Amino acid sequence: MLVHSRTGKWATWSVFFVLFVPLFAVPLLVILAASFTTNWSGAFPSGPTTEHYVAATGGDSLQALTTSLITAVSASLLALTIGSWAALAAASMRRRGRRFLDALFMLPVAVPSVVVGLAVLVAFSKPPMLLNGTRWIVILAHTILVTAFAYSSVSAAIVRLDPMYEQAAASLGARPGYVLWRIKLPLLLPSLTAAAGLCFALSMGELSATMMLYPPDWTPLPVQIFAATDRGSLFTGAAVAVVLMGTTLLVLLGVSKIRTRASYR
Amino acid sequence: MTSAAHPVASDITATKTPRQRTGPSRAVPPKAGPREPARRARRIPGFVWALPPVAVLALVFLYPLALVVQQSVSPDEGGTSIAPYGDVFASESFRSALTTTVWLAVGSTAGCLVLGFVLAMIIAFVPFPGGRAVAKFIDVFLSFPSFLITLALLFIYGNVGMANGVWTDITGAADGPFDFLTTPWGVLLAEITYFTPFVMRPLLAAFSQLDSAQLEVASSLGAKPARIVRQVILPEALPALAAGGSLVLVMCLNEFGIVLFTGAKGVTTLPMLVYSKAILESDYPAACVVAVVNIAISVGLYSLYRMVSRRVGA
Amino acid sequence: MTGGERSVRSGIRFDQVSVVYGQNTVLDRLDLTVEPGEVMALLGPSGSGKTTALRAVAGFVQPASGRVHLGDRDVTGLPPHKRGIGMVVQQYALFPHMRVQDNVAFGLKARKVAKAEIPERVAEALEMVGMAAYAKRYPRELSGGQQQRVAIARALAIRPGVLLLDEPLSALDAQLRSGMLAELARLHRELPDVSILYVTHDQVEALTLADRIAVMDKARLQDCGTPQDLYRRPRTEFTASFVGNANLLPVTVTEGADSVDFAGRALDVPTGDVTRGATATLCVRPHLVGLGDGPNALSGTIAEVQWRGSTHRLYVDIDGHRVKADLKELRETPALGDRVTLHFAAEDAVLLPAGAAPGTGGGADD
Repeated sequence: MLVHSRTGKWATWSVFFVLFVPLFAVPLLVILAASFTTNWSGAFPSGPTTEHYVAATGGDSLQALTTSLITAVSASLLALTIGSWAALAAASMRRRGRRFLDALFMLPVAVPSVVVGLAVLVAFSKPPMLLNGTRWIVILAHTILVTAFAYSSVSAAIVRLDPMYEQAAASLGARPGYVLWRIKLPLLLPSLTAAAGLCFALSMGELSATMMLYPPDWTPLPVQIFAATDRGSLFTGAAVAVVLMGTTLLVLLGVSKIRTRASYR
Repeated sequence: MTSAAHPVASDITATKTPRQRTGPSRAVPPKAGPREPARRARRIPGFVWALPPVAVLALVFLYPLALVVQQSVSPDEGGTSIAPYGDVFASESFRSALTTTVWLAVGSTAGCLVLGFVLAMIIAFVPFPGGRAVAKFIDVFLSFPSFLITLALLFIYGNVGMANGVWTDITGAADGPFDFLTTPWGVLLAEITYFTPFVMRPLLAAFSQLDSAQLEVASSLGAKPARIVRQVILPEALPALAAGGSLVLVMCLNEFGIVLFTGAKGVTTLPMLVYSKAILESDYPAACVVAVVNIAISVGLYSLYRMVSRRVGA
Repeated sequence: MTGGERSVRSGIRFDQVSVVYGQNTVLDRLDLTVEPGEVMALLGPSGSGKTTALRAVAGFVQPASGRVHLGDRDVTGLPPHKRGIGMVVQQYALFPHMRVQDNVAFGLKARKVAKAEIPERVAEALEMVGMAAYAKRYPRELSGGQQQRVAIARALAIRPGVLLLDEPLSALDAQLRSGMLAELARLHRELPDVSILYVTHDQVEALTLADRIAVMDKARLQDCGTPQDLYRRPRTEFTASFVGNANLLPVTVTEGADSVDFAGRALDVPTGDVTRGATATLCVRPHLVGLGDGPNALSGTIAEVQWRGSTHRLYVDIDGHRVKADLKELRETPALGDRVTLHFAAEDAVLLPAGAAPGTGGGADD
């Protein structure tokens, strides 16, 4: 459309792939390759092995995977509840109230995650809310961080929702609560699952706040990866990273399956 | 898998109705309409429903932030004073962290904008088979944590990585020439790689709104590709570029994982300083001061981003 | 391409042009010449290859084989911006961020026309389409018809030798459309040197505006001729049904002079050079069919009656063949199932040599 001659097109595409492949595709492939390698000091990895996966799926790493999964699922569900509630409430408010809620719930995105971690650490290290040293402080921080994303996905979906359905239901005599339960939420279901998948992915990869907060018995995958690379076990780190990516992808895939089914309704 | 879409990146476009170009006039799509009617009938005013989530947020987020601000003015000796600010501002480590953070963020953002614009433009306007797969890949890329990029770069450009390995194999030298990973340049490379997709997504959405017939008419009128890019594509892309750029700027200012994984003593950014002051040195007042500065910069920029993206989206 | 160029009389010549997408041939060896100053309509259903032909002239698709000439220049390998063509598309594609005057000036600036000359030429082009008063508006502040005029002004401002119009009226409502048709005809009278290639699926537009019509179907040129010629003497069944929606009846040419056999009935029709004994298709326009007895009488039963304001359209089943007749508004409308007799004059019928079974044409049933 912009370039019409064949040579011009091929030249443009070459530029694209010369930029795209090394920058975006190669890093992920390198991690994948490294996770199966015992030694990599030349152009290509050598010494194929699955040993790192034995390490990455057993002992500490397995513990970390469970930790990450529990944290991500709990944080996502909590965030989805709070975020959707706030988004639905915002939608029923007037312009000024809506903008206030928007600003409030998007604030955690602007605040650096490390600072969120610090703030949570400062606030919950003393009675009456002594959470420091427990898993709850990690889950809490993750929830705060991903709530903003749940809120913004759901409120974007509400804006796109045709008010016609709501009005038709109301004209048929449905009370607001009934409209919410039977009309709005089912129509929003695809967006809710999408938001859940997103929150899950973000929580799985969260490192900044977690580094500030994690107790020794609750180390999620990213911390595990950092610990591995920090002590020089790069290849094990790569294997754990592959486990992290794979789990995230699987869950996202599952979520998108659910979403497709839900959107046929 | 589009679900993985970062909503911050996608909320720029989410409010736009998908391709409203059936009629000749680009009529503004009807707004979602009044959304009060169902609620009006209720006795309870709308804001009451917003109270529970707001209360939760206030307790777990606003209150802790307030404590951080309070701590930042409470030196260890007790009392309330802004002395900790003076101390921190005077320290060399803070100043260099601030400079490093800002120039890294600005540099990365500039890099992301240029790279993102070029790549998105090729995907959108010089379409090739597999272009959709590439767009999908970008969505997936966004759902991975940032530090994976640094991890990958360690394998590629690290001391014993691929690039140096190839070099030493060929030249027989003891060490390779690639030694930039632990410098700010390594962080810059990783940040450009990781954040470019955040620019590409809103751009691709903006480009899908652009009628490709405009490009064709422009070239039939005698415009060369460079002129079309400058005068037809760029003006349409500017809002998305501004929104994507300011978002990336904020995210770069706040980035921690990439810097941590680089493991470089020489590269200290504000979030890194917060971490090291609080966790490694247990100097909470200082950590809180740095945190407050970081919050001020990021929240200020983020408000700018919201303003820009509202203008694009609404 | 420097400033001050007057449009050159150029014309378009397709020389065996084929366009292929993957396995799909979307334009099959097109041979067609548009004379300088001529209005050529490319008429056909969607997917017939007409838009592809236009885009090959503009340079947006590369022919797999064949050459495209503008005047005596072979432009096949030339990028679009070097071709000097004005183009107007269905959705106008005005640049939304530019005012009307900047839209019109765009091509002039792109072609490096002297700065001093631009305002004058923008004004001239806008004057020509009656939009001079709207120069400072943005496209979104204009109605569909006005946007259309600006799009035309933008194309004319560069004084192209060739103007390509791709379904330019299809986004307008019926009333605006007939107004714009008259406007386009006037513009062409004012710019007699400009060749126009006009792509449309609407036969009325083609018949009204074109000097000649090229009928396209299934990636091929089916027929080409003046509107009267195509309408009165179609050369293919497709043309007959697509242009004017003719009745097509399967007949056999009998041994006698100028006589054919239709379902056991002898009809008097000029057979021209169609071989005796061969099967052929008889083509009669619905409005040339009369009700009641007469020459070439055919009787059948009424299957459907449509009132169309000034006419009645009757559908009559004759031995399993459905014949359409457009009749001046009838005082007494026949009822469904009535037996009626239709007739037509021998000189109103055209005999087409054997082809596929009648009625395969993709013409819209209007």
